[in-house]
Amino acid sequence: MSRGVKAIMAALVLILAGSAAFLLLRPKSEGHVARISLDGQVVEEIDLSRVETPYTLTIDGPGGFSNTITVEKGRICVSKAGCPDQICVHQGYISDGTTPIVCLPNKLIIEIIGGGSGLDAATG
Amino acid sequence: MKQRLTALILLCTLLTGCAATDKGEQPLTATVLAMDTVMNFTFYGDGMGEEQLRQALSGAEDTLRQLDAALTAQGAEGEAAALNAADGGWTAVPQSGALLQQTLELAELTGGALDPTAYAAVKAWGFADGNYTVPNREELDALKAAIDYTRVEVSQDGAQARLAPGQQLDFGATAKGYAGDLLRRQLEQGGITSALLDLGQSSIAAVGSKPDGSPWRIGIQDPAADSGVYLGVLELSGRSMGTSGSYQRYFDRDSVRYCHIIDPATASPARSGLAGVTVVADSCLLCDGLSTALFVMGLEEGVRFWRENSALEFDVIFVTDAGEIFVTSGLKDSFTLADGETREVQVLE
Repeated sequence: MSRGVKAIMAALVLILAGSAAFLLLRPKSEGHVARISLDGQVVEEIDLSRVETPYTLTIDGPGGFSNTITVEKGRICVSKAGCPDQICVHQGYISDGTTPIVCLPNKLIIEIIGGGSGLDAATG
Repeated sequence: MKQRLTALILLCTLLTGCAATDKGEQPLTATVLAMDTVMNFTFYGDGMGEEQLRQALSGAEDTLRQLDAALTAQGAEGEAAALNAADGGWTAVPQSGALLQQTLELAELTGGALDPTAYAAVKAWGFADGNYTVPNREELDALKAAIDYTRVEVSQDGAQARLAPGQQLDFGATAKGYAGDLLRRQLEQGGITSALLDLGQSSIAAVGSKPDGSPWRIGIQDPAADSGVYLGVLELSGRSMGTSGSYQRYFDRDSVRYCHIIDPATASPARSGLAGVTVVADSCLLCDGLSTALFVMGLEEGVRFWRENSALEFDVIFVTDAGEIFVTSGLKDSFTLADGETREVQVLE
């Protein structure tokens, strides 16, 4: 085998190893970011995988009342709300991107982006 | 030697090619607040330019907002609101005439288990504005007397309609399904071959399959569990589905749970022993309306209706209050229980 061919082979093996490493080691898509928006405007993004101590935050919306949001490692919920129907509170925790939490009266949406549940949609 | 070299080069190309298509299949998604719910749209381009895809998406949003304004029973411009305000007078229904016709046909087909004239009862129980109340017996008798879809008249050309005096109508059980059918047609005409229209979880319309040819995977909420806990997964390709469940909207009063689905026969929340009904068919409107009607009918009558109406080509997942799961034979292969779910699925033939 000539030197030239060996060099080409070595280069190819390197490229192969490089692309394999890239494919196998590249970071998984963000995963667990909760995006909170009011009337279509993003007000807060929280990386749920980095939450160590659970905490709450309160958001005032255009409906004229507030939603209290509880944030824990890997999951998020609306724990208290001033809306008449309480649908957002009833929904409980979400931890994947299949179904967002929505408080229609306050135009609040909490969705988990980046990750995946293997589902494209869900009944609710 | 040469062969080995070729093989190596091929392998490298394949691997990099993989990474490229991975990126190219990102769908365009949008969240729209309409029809009193939140809708999620997923569009795949399948060779279409991103600009074209965005146009299709904004076209769909425009259609939806227009429909929402035209169909509502609550807004000032809504045709249902105008019908209700006319106290029995003829009213123009340019945008909702077709929906009204189809809803009345479904009402007849289901023997009134679906009845669009139950809106006064929906309001009296507080499901329109969230101020929940339990009406007394006299109020219920009056509400019951006003519910009767056979008294709704539509003009020959379908452009005008009128209710009986005192009747109140809304399209709550069919508007989203109607919108789903309309949007799907609009997208298909625009050349979209792969999209999922989630019109607020109770109504889902699929355009084709995913770009790789695999079906869309839809989680079926377990009525007895927290939101987001699925009892199974339904695979959907080019068809629609609709779900009605007592767990979706309800209130508790004196330790009784009252769900948002009104039984037209009693003018009260339905109590049929079912906790959730999912209907799968081509038409999203059929799924939407039938899921409500079958929920009102209950398991036994619902199964009989399914057997007697095979010409409608629909299938059903029934979940009872006790947690039993019944699936009609057409879904035998497309419905699978969630991991760790040990319940038995009873297949209806």
